[in-house]
Amino acid sequence: MHIMEGFLPWQWCLVWWIIALPCLLLGIYRLKKVLGVDREALPLLGVTGGFIFILSSLKLPSVTGSCSHPTGTGLSTISFGPWITAVVCAIVLLFQSLFLAHGGLSVLGANIVSMGIVGPLVGYGVYRLLRDTSLNMYMTVFLVTALADMFTYVTTSLELALAYPAETGGFVSSFILFMGIFAITQVPLAIVEGIVLALVFKYIVALKPDILIRLGIFSEEKIKDARSEI
Amino acid sequence: MAYKYMLEILAVIAIGVFCALFLYTSSTMSGAEFAGSDNVGSGLIAELSGIPEENFQPLIPQWEPPSGEIESCLFAIQAAVGGILVGGVFGFWIGSKKKA
Repeated sequence: MHIMEGFLPWQWCLVWWIIALPCLLLGIYRLKKVLGVDREALPLLGVTGGFIFILSSLKLPSVTGSCSHPTGTGLSTISFGPWITAVVCAIVLLFQSLFLAHGGLSVLGANIVSMGIVGPLVGYGVYRLLRDTSLNMYMTVFLVTALADMFTYVTTSLELALAYPAETGGFVSSFILFMGIFAITQVPLAIVEGIVLALVFKYIVALKPDILIRLGIFSEEKIKDARSEI
Repeated sequence: MAYKYMLEILAVIAIGVFCALFLYTSSTMSGAEFAGSDNVGSGLIAELSGIPEENFQPLIPQWEPPSGEIESCLFAIQAAVGGILVGGVFGFWIGSKKKA
């Protein structure tokens, strides 16, 4: 999902940085608050953040004959919301821009917006919609994760299409072209990521149900149901 | 109880299908280079803007890993950090559960 350094005009770099910065500040504020209230949230942050580190380092091949990264933001989004997720993503993306030449400092804002903000926000919306329905908890985790992943790449396409509208057809036609590269490649990855993170969530539920209940991530009944099922 | 391992089974199937798809694409699709979609995207940018790809220079000077080996080393470090976090915490949880 990275936009490469130098491939975005500076005006757009600035726009995305201006959008990303307040979200990051809000995330840091929320992070302090959550960890101040409940120190047990720290290990959960470690696990959910750890998966962002692992999954975003894997470049996986896909059906379009090119490779792409999963994002791993789903669990963190469900547990801590999009703003804290944005902070974790910013750390990963900063590492990748400094040491791996994936992305870069000028386009970091744009990459944070796609991976850390829009993707998780969509995921969080889905989670809030489904949390109190009777839908299976793991199905919710699957949908949140897969959609957060997909919308990261839709956003990257959007950012690039805004900066490079096609001569004929303008923004819409270049959006479709970029979607063809980024989003289609991502479909199988998003599905596998969703299933894998749902499985990880099962283990978190099995080991540490109390923290999920205390943070109000899922209701006590839902977690009890899920535990009796497994 | 029949569904106890349903998620595990699903995950194995999904990963299996994913690998099969990869083998199928890599053996049938000609010109499938499995380059990063980042790079393919950059190619499209060059096409749309009419500026050759090599003319895009970093706005902020950037260190690049001198070789693919060093790049994969750094990627492995990133994954290892994540793995340590995940494994450490799961271990801590299992340990404190046993104690309790």
